[in-house]
Amino acid sequence: MRLHVACIIIAGFCLTADASEPVSYDRDVRPILKAACTHCHGEEDELAGGVDLRLRRFMDRPGDSGEPVVVAGQPDESLLMSMIVSGEMPEDGKPLDPAQIDLIRAWIAAGAVADAPEPESLPPGAYVSESERRHWAFQPIVDPPVPPAGPADRIRTPIDAFLWARLHEKGLTFAPDADRRTLIRRVTIDLTGLPPTPEEVEQFVADTAADAYEKVVERLLASPAYGERWARHWLDAVGYADSNGHAEADSPRPHAWRYRDYVIESFTEDKPWNEFLVEQLAGDELAGVVHGETADAVQDPDRLENIVATGFLRMAPDGTGDPLPDPLLGRNEVIAEQLKVVSSALLGLTVGCAQCHDHRLDPISQIDYYRLRAVFEPAFDVAQWRSPAQRLCSLATSEEEATAAEIEKQAVAIEADARAMEKKFLDEIFEKEIVKLPEEDRDAFRTARATPKAKHTPEQAALVKKYPSALALQSLDLYDKEAHAKVVARRSEAKKLRESKPAERFVMPLTEVRGRVPETKVFHRGDHGQPRAAVTPGELSVVAGPAIEPFVPASVPSGSTGRRLAYARWLTGGGHPLVARVLVNRFWMHHFGRGIVATPGDFGLAGERPSHPELLDWLASRFMAGGWSLKTLHRLIVASTAYRQSATNPAAVAADPDNALLARWGRRRLDAESLRDSVLFAAGRLNPKAGGPPVPTGRDPAGRVAEGRAELNANGDVIKFIPPGDDAFRRSIYTTFRRSLPATLLDTFDAPTMLPNCEQRNCSTVAPQSLFMLNDAFVLDSATALASRLQKEQPGNLRGQIELAWLILTARRPDEAELAEGLVHVAEQAESLRQFHVAHPPAKGAAAADPQTEAVASYCQVLLSCTRFLYVD
Amino acid sequence: MTRPALCSRRHLLHSGSFGLGTLAVAHLLQQDGLLAAPAKPMLDAPKRFDTLPKPPHFPGRARAMISLFMMGGPSQMDLFDPKPLLQKHDGGVFPGELKFDNAAEASAKVFGSPWKFAPQGSCGMELSELLPHLGGVADEITLIRSMQSGVSNHLQGLNAINTGRSTSGRPALGSWLTYGLGNETRDLPAYMVLGHPAGLPTFQQVHYSNGWLPSIYQGTLVRAAEPRILNLDPDPRLAGSPQMRQIALLRSLNERHLAEQPGDNDLAARIASYELAARMQVAAKEALDISAEPEYIRRMYGIDTKETQDYGTRCLIARRLVERGVRFVQVLNNSQTWDQHANLVTALPKLCKAVDQPSAALVADLRQRGLLDTTVVHWGGEMGRLPVRQNDKGREAWGRDHNTFGFSQWVAGGGFKAGYVHGATDEWSHKAVENVVHHYDWHATLLHCFGLDHTQLAFSRGGVKATLTDGQDARVVKELLA
Repeated sequence: MRLHVACIIIAGFCLTADASEPVSYDRDVRPILKAACTHCHGEEDELAGGVDLRLRRFMDRPGDSGEPVVVAGQPDESLLMSMIVSGEMPEDGKPLDPAQIDLIRAWIAAGAVADAPEPESLPPGAYVSESERRHWAFQPIVDPPVPPAGPADRIRTPIDAFLWARLHEKGLTFAPDADRRTLIRRVTIDLTGLPPTPEEVEQFVADTAADAYEKVVERLLASPAYGERWARHWLDAVGYADSNGHAEADSPRPHAWRYRDYVIESFTEDKPWNEFLVEQLAGDELAGVVHGETADAVQDPDRLENIVATGFLRMAPDGTGDPLPDPLLGRNEVIAEQLKVVSSALLGLTVGCAQCHDHRLDPISQIDYYRLRAVFEPAFDVAQWRSPAQRLCSLATSEEEATAAEIEKQAVAIEADARAMEKKFLDEIFEKEIVKLPEEDRDAFRTARATPKAKHTPEQAALVKKYPSALALQSLDLYDKEAHAKVVARRSEAKKLRESKPAERFVMPLTEVRGRVPETKVFHRGDHGQPRAAVTPGELSVVAGPAIEPFVPASVPSGSTGRRLAYARWLTGGGHPLVARVLVNRFWMHHFGRGIVATPGDFGLAGERPSHPELLDWLASRFMAGGWSLKTLHRLIVASTAYRQSATNPAAVAADPDNALLARWGRRRLDAESLRDSVLFAAGRLNPKAGGPPVPTGRDPAGRVAEGRAELNANGDVIKFIPPGDDAFRRSIYTTFRRSLPATLLDTFDAPTMLPNCEQRNCSTVAPQSLFMLNDAFVLDSATALASRLQKEQPGNLRGQIELAWLILTARRPDEAELAEGLVHVAEQAESLRQFHVAHPPAKGAAAADPQTEAVASYCQVLLSCTRFLYVD
Repeated sequence: MTRPALCSRRHLLHSGSFGLGTLAVAHLLQQDGLLAAPAKPMLDAPKRFDTLPKPPHFPGRARAMISLFMMGGPSQMDLFDPKPLLQKHDGGVFPGELKFDNAAEASAKVFGSPWKFAPQGSCGMELSELLPHLGGVADEITLIRSMQSGVSNHLQGLNAINTGRSTSGRPALGSWLTYGLGNETRDLPAYMVLGHPAGLPTFQQVHYSNGWLPSIYQGTLVRAAEPRILNLDPDPRLAGSPQMRQIALLRSLNERHLAEQPGDNDLAARIASYELAARMQVAAKEALDISAEPEYIRRMYGIDTKETQDYGTRCLIARRLVERGVRFVQVLNNSQTWDQHANLVTALPKLCKAVDQPSAALVADLRQRGLLDTTVVHWGGEMGRLPVRQNDKGREAWGRDHNTFGFSQWVAGGGFKAGYVHGATDEWSHKAVENVVHHYDWHATLLHCFGLDHTQLAFSRGGVKATLTDGQDARVVKELLA
């Protein structure tokens, strides 16, 4: 079997060659050589054995041994064959397996032909072959023709036409449309992270207008909840956190939230993504600022927004303000991690491997990696490093600064006055005390008191020791409590005054330092201690092909290098093959649960191939042509039949288990934030307060991490947990995200840990989630709040309460059986609870329990836990 | 002295003679309707997956597994694989070629192990002085000195040793075992993961992900500190029959939802997870509570000593879980703490100190309870290390770079030989040269111990049959088996 269908696995991807098909150099042979050989034979400074295997043409040259490396048509005469057959090569790796050896033998025997013309010579380093250049993701984005339509009632949009073409091939069709209740719940949760209200559901069900659905979509896109929901997706990609990470201290990042608010606002106002990206990559250069010269710019709202946007480039873990074992390494890791974020979020490539050596799988050379680093180097500047605190820029106005200075002056004066008061009191006490001393010691003691302790003569020291209580230089409270209280009162006036200073406000931007242009050098094997050749900023060579004009940095007047601005404009200029594809793929994934490319952070050779490449390109083209408007893209996607179809399509379950072809809606669980927010919303507890500093979190005595502040004793045990009032019920995007202390609810339901960012969330189904729904105080309290809401809206009408609960949580009305089940449940629970309270009467002074409300709450809890609520059908 | 729980199902299974007991109980379970059909490729109708016990393909010795996973790549020539030649040439130039992977600070200077080796047990297995307690159970273990995966980065190495191949997204070993054999307790998850207090290892969920197997087979993470599982206590008002009523209603609602979409594995898994959660409220608390363990057991695991307290507690919990019928338990470290690119001389003794006594105690304790014959204990990481110095800036700074061409791991129980050393590396402990065990051979052998044929334990993905060892030339290494 192996000889017929050789399935060769080279660290992650599979190439198959059929015996009937001639062996291809590009497809079959070169990948083996690249993975196993060219690292030493061509890509390093020194050519091992004088053999260079990067090009077919080079194999004609004999190595140091004088033997020809490859003799076309003569495998047995070829040095390459004897080396790999004997197992002598690869020297440091797994021997090639027999199928690989057979392929190479067959290729040489067939004449050892290269598939495409090769260059005459190569610069040192990795070589991007034509076949690698031909990898789909590096091709220019084209606007493909829409396939001929299928059945008119199912092809609502061109998206459906693209999908239909593939479905049709497999003998599948779309599932029927979802009913209106399912659809409005789906689109509402998808676009806002919250369920629709009963009124919204009934209105949509009753709306006979042709554009009923479009009206719903417009309402949702215009709501503030939309920005809070979709910003969260982008915050995953950029690795947003409210702590610095990396170091064990995981110190807080108290000003990150301004970037979070900027992202939310940008989504809400549908800022075109080309502008959005340029601001995030180079907002400082747009605003014309450099480090330490931001005072004027931050007073201009537009420029301030640009500066805040660069928080994107400050998202990577950065422990350089905390104690680190190797600070220099720590600095370089900040840059490396930030490059990972940029490349996975915008380019859909894992460039990290190329930090140490040419990428083994993708055509990304080590030099490429450092050219990319050079774009960002001036802003990071390892040699003149700025810690997170040193990078902050103040938002204070000159008036605020003047006010603060004036207040400080007054406070200092008050403190001086308090000190004088204290001295006066102590002097008075001294005069009373000294008369208690023997006459002959008094003068000497007075002199000793007036002499600073450090200058005491031995005699003076002895004297002071002899009459300790007469000294009266401190501890006024021990002599005269009343006088001491007066001094304390005066001092506290200063403290109080200081509190009236305008609050200090900061932004966490990325800026360069005027005139500083640190050189970027290739680090030998990624070791910052071994810098080699200097490189200039540039695009990855596989993208910067002959047909593509890459960017040229042009310095900007502010004194910044302009590298990032030029790079950002190139990325968003419409000619970049990756950026728009990567973005629309991610948006698609958030809508459907799975990307057209299933590896949203890896469009390279090891990533998955797109399930519908033409659709991806068509979406990317539409996106760019539509002014990079995400809301326009949303409208297009949610209007499709693919989006509106039901989750039920039995034929498709067996034929397409991963639902790659979209012959049904892919049901999925609410993500962590949507779950928490939807529970709060249903219970009528969601606090809609937008923006601002994050709600603090802490460990409560039960061991959960929740919204609130924990007071710890010296051992680090929680002694008190103070909930933050209504702030506990704000949307999850405002909950502090500390890397080392994730909030329990969000963590239980798979919120990401940002190391450094999250390309795609995990979605687990484990018992701790069920235990959470059964027993956690958050769920119990929310169920009680929901029960109270039901009783308020449908007083005395249990039937009405049950119907309303279904509407709120599932957008459906219960059928008669479900209703009956609910009535029985409430009655039985009420009886049990009544008995419980008889057996456990409330403590004196506590309000009597209401078993009926508790029983309704029990029912609400079941509905909150059921799959119709937890999943989006 | 407390006796192990005699009434546990696991114990019952062991009380009969090997093979017969297994089959007899399987038969009884089948009569009770408790035993689901054997796992076989799903080709047509959607199937409902569960963790009910399933018979193996043929009688196997092992019934449970505890994997003490050491992420980072423990240094074999300092722990398991003595090489006098390294000492002899310490500081000299290594004569062969080396592959330094993500190495900053590579050097070619031979790094002789700073630690002494001595024969242990009656088998005379040579082990490092860093593992004195392991020496005490040398006669119980099989030491494999010729492991090889050939993929030298942490993620790919982890994928290979934990999911069968170097590519990402595949099911973990524990998911395969629970998919194939289900669980022997209905009260605890089939696959439990004991995390480290300082956090998860690098690559996090990769360690216990179900990949493309149904989500019912994913590992359940247990917190490292009390409360190890949150929310085990019902509200006092609802405890007992009111909560059972809630769960019954929940089941009814969820089953009706599932009926609208037969074959939805996620919904089915969610339903099962509620049933499990309900039973776990009592069972998990009891299983995770080590307060009833006698003093001598606590001392044996090192729970009375600061350095070994955490790991000892987790090993003891692992034993308690297996004793109660849990199929697969993973005990994890944090980050990739065994990745000594530097500071090996100071770091390795500390790491060993924390795990040596508890790991050995686990083996000895399982033995004294009669559970070792049916429980595989595995100790190892995703790779090994090179025979040369890395970070050559003075003895304190020395480390070793990655090596996947030769590394060691040990296993005990479940049908593996006792007091046996398998395979060898070259004279430098660089490459496995004798009786090489590839990661896929290890997997095939392990499944064999459980009575599973690695080519038959398959899951159908859209009609394509996928297995743990998928397309690799795996063989059952019979020489490892008793």
